This record gives sequence, C-alpha cells and structure tokens, in this order.
Amino acid sequence: MTKLEAKNIEKYFDHDGQKLQALGGIDLKVNDGDFVCLVGPSGCGKSTFLRIVAGLDRPDNGEVLLDGKPVIETGPDRILVFQEGALFPWLKVIDNVEFGLKIAGIPKSERSEISKRYLDMMQLTRFAESYTYQLSTGMKQRVAIARALVLDPDVLLMDEPFAALDAQTRDLLLVEMQLIWERTKKTILFVTHNVAEATMLGNRVAVFTNRPSTIKKEIVIDYRRPRISEDENLSKYQQQILAELRPEVKANV
Amino acid sequence: MKIKKLFLNLDDVANAALFLAVFIGIWQLVFVLGIWPKISLPSPATVAESFANIISNYTLFKGIGITLGRLVVGFFISIALGAAIGFAMIKFKGFGKTMSSFSAGLLSFPSIAWVPFSILLIGFNDAGILFVVIMSSVFSITISTYSSIRNIPPIYIDAAKNMGAKGLSLFLHATIPAATPSLIIGIRQGWSFAWHAIIGAEILMSIVGLGHILSVGREFQDMGQVIASMITIFTIGLLVDRLLLFKLEEKVRSRWGIE
Ligand SMILES: Nc1ncnc2c1ncn2[C@@H]1O[C@H](COP(=O)(O)OP(=O)(O)O)[C@@H](O)[C@H]1O
Ligand SMILES: [Mg+2]
Repeated sequence: MTKLEAKNIEKYFDHDGQKLQALGGIDLKVNDGDFVCLVGPSGCGKSTFLRIVAGLDRPDNGEVLLDGKPVIETGPDRILVFQEGALFPWLKVIDNVEFGLKIAGIPKSERSEISKRYLDMMQLTRFAESYTYQLSTGMKQRVAIARALVLDPDVLLMDEPFAALDAQTRDLLLVEMQLIWERTKKTILFVTHNVAEATMLGNRVAVFTNRPSTIKKEIVIDYRRPRISEDENLSKYQQQILAELRPEVKANV
Repeated sequence: MKIKKLFLNLDDVANAALFLAVFIGIWQLVFVLGIWPKISLPSPATVAESFANIISNYTLFKGIGITLGRLVVGFFISIALGAAIGFAMIKFKGFGKTMSSFSAGLLSFPSIAWVPFSILLIGFNDAGILFVVIMSSVFSITISTYSSIRNIPPIYIDAAKNMGAKGLSLFLHATIPAATPSLIIGIRQGWSFAWHAIIGAEILMSIVGLGHILSVGREFQDMGQVIASMITIFTIGLLVDRLLLFKLEEKVRSRWGIE
C-alpha cells in the first residue's frame, strides 16, 4: 500500500533576485513500512525535499500525498530529524526529548516513561539532566533521533542524521536503526551522502541528479537484515549506486 | 569550585578597595590644595558626615524606597507595554516597519525632555514621574522585543512546528525561550534608561525621592549632601546592574550555551 507519494515536486529559491530551481520534479512512491534512502550530490535539494514532505515548506509545483491526502502543513504523522540537530538549548536533554509529548498534552508520568525508554535506547540516560551545549555532536544527534522517535510517527524523515558521528557510534546506530525499523515497521525516508550507509539501511536507494534535481534511478536492495557495515556483499550495490552518482557529483564541482 | 569563586570575589573586593582608596586619596589631596572653596568641594570627611546625617534622619532610606518603588512600577509597566507593542509589530508587518523607525527615534530622545510635556499633560505628581520613566524606557523594550523575535534562528521554530507546536504553544515553548537571551539585553538597557529618567524627573518634579534629595542639596548649597546622593545613585545603579541584571544575563547565556 502506498503510504507516501511525491508527485512532480518542484521548488525554486530566490538567490539575489535570481531564481534557482532546486527541485526539478521529484516523483517518488513509498510503500507503507518501506525504508528508502535518498542519495545525491550536496546542494541538490535533498533537505528541501524532506522539508516539503514534513510540511515545513510548500512546493512551487506538484504535491505530496500521505495516505492519499495532500500534505499542507506539519503533522505528528511525519517527523523530521534535522541535519543540524536543531535541539533547544534552553531545555535539558530529557525536556528536549519530551518536547513533542508535552506539546501534545501527554501527562508528566507518561512522558517520563516514554522518554526514559528512548533515552535508554540512545544511551543518553546519563545525560538526561545535561544541557545540549554540554554534549558532543554525536550525542546531540542521538537526542535529535530520540526526540523524533518518542512521537511514534508513521513516517520518519531523517536528514543525514549520522553524518557527524564517529565511525563506532555510527555503526552501532546503523544496526540499531534497522532494529527499530523492523520492530516498528515505520516508513522511513533517510537522506545520506554515505553510499555504504544507504546500502546498509535502505530497501531502496533513490539517486538524485544535480540541480534542478529529479530522481535518476532507484536501486532495490533485496538483502537479509540486520546488515553490518563489514558485509562484502553490499559492495555490489554500492558500486551500482556510485556509478549513478559519480557523473552528478562531477557535474557539481 | 565554590572556593575558587570565593577567592575570585576576594580579589575583586581587594581591587575595588584599592581603587576607592586611591580615589579618596586624590580627592583629599585636591581638597587640601584648596583649588576650590570648601563650600564647592568639601572633604571626604564632610561628605561622610552628610551621609551620616541623611542616614540617621532616615531621609536617605525613605528616598531610596520611594525612588525604587516608582522605578519598579514604571519599569514593569514599560516591560508589559513594550512587549505588547513588540508582539503587535511582529504580528502586523506594516505596523512593525513604521513603528521600528519611530521607536528608534524615540530611543535617543532625552528623557529630561519629556518632563515639561508630562507636567502639563499629567501634572506635578507621581503619575507624571511614572509617565517620564515609562516613555524613556518603553521603546527600548519595544525594539528589543521586535528584533529579538525577528532574529530567532528559524530552525528552532521549524523544529517546534515539526513536533506539533503551533499558535500559542509555539509562541510559549519556542518563540519566547529562543528570544530570551536577546530579550534580556533589551531589558537591561531599558532598566538603565528608566534609572536615568527617574533621577532626572525627581530632580525637576518631585518633593520626595533620591532625585529630590539631590536637588535639595543644591538649593541649600549643601555640596556634602549633593555628593552623598550622587554616590548613593551610583551605588544603586551599579548594584542593580551587576548583581541582578548582569547575573541574570550571564545565567541565561550560559544556560543557552552562548559564550
Ligand atoms: N531557504 C533557502 N533559501 C534560498 N536557497 C535555499 C534555501 N534552502 C535551500 N536553498 C538552496 O537550494 C539548494 C538545495 O539545498 P538543500 O536542499 O539544502 O540541498 P542538500 O540537502 O541536497 O544538500 C541549494 O542550492 C541551496 O542553496
Ligand atoms: Mg542537506
């Protein structure tokens, strides 16, 4: 069943009075419970696309359908994990994680129960009472993920969430992410510039072209899980993706 | 850590004491040299006497109480009014543009210049003084509210919206806290405008308060009392800014992780 559908999404930005077309007509269909990775040259509009799906920006053309209904604003069914983390510096870690629950009016005791579970999962329990400036980049990113997961959205939109992590933490979270996905069967759109990461996570990898970007190719990765980063069998998928990606990255520089 | 802080404070105290000693020393020297007649520049001892005088007959404490009372009332009205205007400026863009140039003009308007207007409009009374205080500080609150909110990194608002905040909850849980570090700076500035204004207004249009004590000193050619009042005004201004507002600002900045 189709959970999410992007139809001919176009987006323009104003750059010093000049129109810059970021998205040149993105078409993407995502089934319920699918895990789709988006890769593409930097600046091609991946973040922009996720923001549109999240309802934070409006496309200039085309529409996003969620369960067949057009997306016009943000909603608790789609939560975006920002590339920048975007944690609130005025809140402790635990209050950052509970933010969405508090907004939704969930009582304190229930909030604590839920946040405790996800703080645990993200190995943040020790830092629950810290403020965000006291955390390393990797820990901040884990808070950002926990903050999204507590809301239990149908669709999880993740914008390069692991880019700033050290290799060990990333490997850990790459496995954890697969387990979360298998357990919750959430629909996940995951942007990354790391091809190995994409092959570990995605059922499908969509390759973006340069600006104005479209989806150039979708590569299906039908391979057992949980996948680990050392698995040699993933490299053939990686080669396939890189073959599509290389000309785009070249054109970009 | 506590202990280190205490030592730092002792250090600061020693520095301040040294500074004060040198200052009083120079003052005494100038006095002894007799450059000015005694009545124009009394010795530190005479000023201390005046101090003792206005302390022992409670003039000083009453004056401080009245001045601070007026100031607090006026300043809180300023904050409420200034913030309300600032929010309206955000909400109504056209109004915001016009009002921000208007406020900028009024920001540099000398507080004393409000006095004749206030006397004629409201009267030679407490309300008139409050009016001067409010007019002198409200625009700095207005401008700071407006610019603090406009300069919030959009990512915070996006993140809050993304997690379901909108309308009032967005305002309370994202807009206000995100703007707080910069709002505090505006409040501190507004306080200093209000402080300038009240002393000026009291000199010209009050029969009580610190400013009045100062002006009585002038009328009776009692330089001792004039200087004693000035020292009091200086000290209160310093204490409020350093111990209250600056501390608050530091606290917010460190909490928000701003260096
Ligand atoms: N708010 C904005 N205003 C102007 N230009 C923007 C804005 N957001 C993104 N862009 C531009 O759109 C293009 C795509 O940006 P982005 O979606 O962040 O790319 P990616 O995430 O793929 O690296 C870039 O050229 C960027 O400069
Ligand atoms: Mg991006």
